[in-house]
Amino acid sequence: MIEFRNVCAGYGGGDVLQGLDLRVEDKSITCIVGPNGAGKSTVLRTLSGLLSPRVGEILLDGRALHTLSAAQVLAAGVAQVPQQGGLFGGLSIRDNMLLGGYLVRRQRRELNKRIDELAEVFPIVAERALDKAADLSGGQRRIVEFARALVTEPSVILLDEPTLGLDPKTCATVFETTQQVNALGTTVLMVEQNVRFGLQLADHGVVMERGQVLISQPADVLLGRSDMASMFFGAAPTEPAVDVPGGPA
Amino acid sequence: MTLLVQTLILGLLIGGIYALMSSGFTLVFGVMKIINLAHAAMIVLAAFFTWWVWDLTGIDPLLLGVVATPVMYGFGWVLYKTVIARVHRADHELAMVASFAVAIAASGVMSLVWGTELRAATPSYFNTSLEIGSIVVPHAQLYACGGAVALLLGLYVLLRRTFIGRAIKACAENRDSAELVGINVERTMAQMFAIGAATTGFGGAALSVIYQFFPESHFVWIGRILCVVILGGLGSLAGAALGAAVLGVGETITAIYIDTQWATTVPYILIIAILVLRPQGLLGERMRADGAHA
Ligand SMILES: Nc1ncnc2c1ncn2[C@@H]1O[C@H](COP(=O)(O)OP(=O)(O)OP(=O)(O)O)[C@@H](O)[C@H]1O
Ligand SMILES: [Mg+2]
Repeated sequence: MIEFRNVCAGYGGGDVLQGLDLRVEDKSITCIVGPNGAGKSTVLRTLSGLLSPRVGEILLDGRALHTLSAAQVLAAGVAQVPQQGGLFGGLSIRDNMLLGGYLVRRQRRELNKRIDELAEVFPIVAERALDKAADLSGGQRRIVEFARALVTEPSVILLDEPTLGLDPKTCATVFETTQQVNALGTTVLMVEQNVRFGLQLADHGVVMERGQVLISQPADVLLGRSDMASMFFGAAPTEPAVDVPGGPA
Repeated sequence: MTLLVQTLILGLLIGGIYALMSSGFTLVFGVMKIINLAHAAMIVLAAFFTWWVWDLTGIDPLLLGVVATPVMYGFGWVLYKTVIARVHRADHELAMVASFAVAIAASGVMSLVWGTELRAATPSYFNTSLEIGSIVVPHAQLYACGGAVALLLGLYVLLRRTFIGRAIKACAENRDSAELVGINVERTMAQMFAIGAATTGFGGAALSVIYQFFPESHFVWIGRILCVVILGGLGSLAGAALGAAVLGVGETITAIYIDTQWATTVPYILIIAILVLRPQGLLGERMRADGAHA
């Protein structure tokens, strides 16, 4: 379980997270939604070690993460797929995958084997191995980002707006991929602007506003709330929901 | 015809050495966007180091270039940690000014330690040549260029095929993403800067054998390096190699067909010409497409 306890964090100009409390259950898919600037990405950044909280604790199964570097958090089993442009565009897909295994680079044989395994699940990893990441389409890049984040076999994966800029078909692929990853026993904590998409995919939904958690509920309950529309669709325009496989119509 | 071939060979030999001298500069620019004006001062420092040890011990100066390489790596590391990183954090552009200050301070210290006379290492082969038919290939240039090309290939492989190289490129492109795959960005930057400095080790050794130098020679050499990287396209290693070849051949042709005096103006004429005709440099577009890279 991941636990945020009274976390305050910011970028120098005041706190973005203002005493945030949050729990993410093991093996769940938890989706954070909220208006632009609510601090959703900041939650993921503090968790992954890119940003140190000023106050508060972040625990993974009782172990403190908030004092660790990004590399140490990754070694502890938490991998983040960043919001947009996470691949190294000038490097080949193969090099990107290898960098996904930067922490285990000395076990080269295991690393190669792991990449081969992932290439079976995500064929593009092998098919476009020698192409520069910048030459892939946005959707293809997303898939490779997923694959790269899985190289170290994390127990938790963080996704920041996985559908941003993708067409409905690719969104569906992302939807399936996320379910696939989750079915393998990986906890997923995601941020999604497309509220309906995110909550259909998730088990648990979290609504954030101004650096705090407003609501934390099972995703289907949250999705069915009558005040959801006024809370979101009025405040922040969202992309039209997509038809997603397995999701309620 | 023979004279032309002779000229081209001499030009390319010098070009190989220029390429190594410029490689570290272009690497640091490509990754950190710092114009490191202390780069040539490091070359002169390495030249003094090799000349000094050669003078004391008689060990071959080009072989000493191999020793100077890790020495300059260490120097680069310390320079990065004490000056460059701090200033860079405070203000991007200020790093260039700071590096200029380092260059001036370094040349002052070199004057105090080694004096301001012209120096040159003169191993047994410094004025002997290999003769192929009517073509003359000076041994010193041949060995120096051979060593430089070997080191450049090594640098290329390091950047292309190793995790250090991949990490450097990753940091150059996207620091956050680099952190997220577990790269220690600060340490990688220091390594990269130190590798850039390490290239001045053999560059300086070559300089000490082929040219005369004194502490303020770095002003001339930074001009040549700027010419090479502007010609090739800032940040591109392949561009530096091409720019170095053009400058080497250009200078040699000018020296042989016109006048040695005029050869010193070649870098500046080339800079002006390329800025007018193709400001991104010969391989400038490629540089933009693949970022900082080899
Ligand atoms: N690197 C940064 N430096 C300074 N301020 C930042 C930085 N990143 C985010 N912020 C600020 O922090 C606040 C929250 O940003 P955050 O990215 O967490 O929001 P978000 O909920 O992810 O928004 P969005 O839906 O637009 O992605 C914003 O006011 C933003 O301006
Ligand atoms: Mg965000």
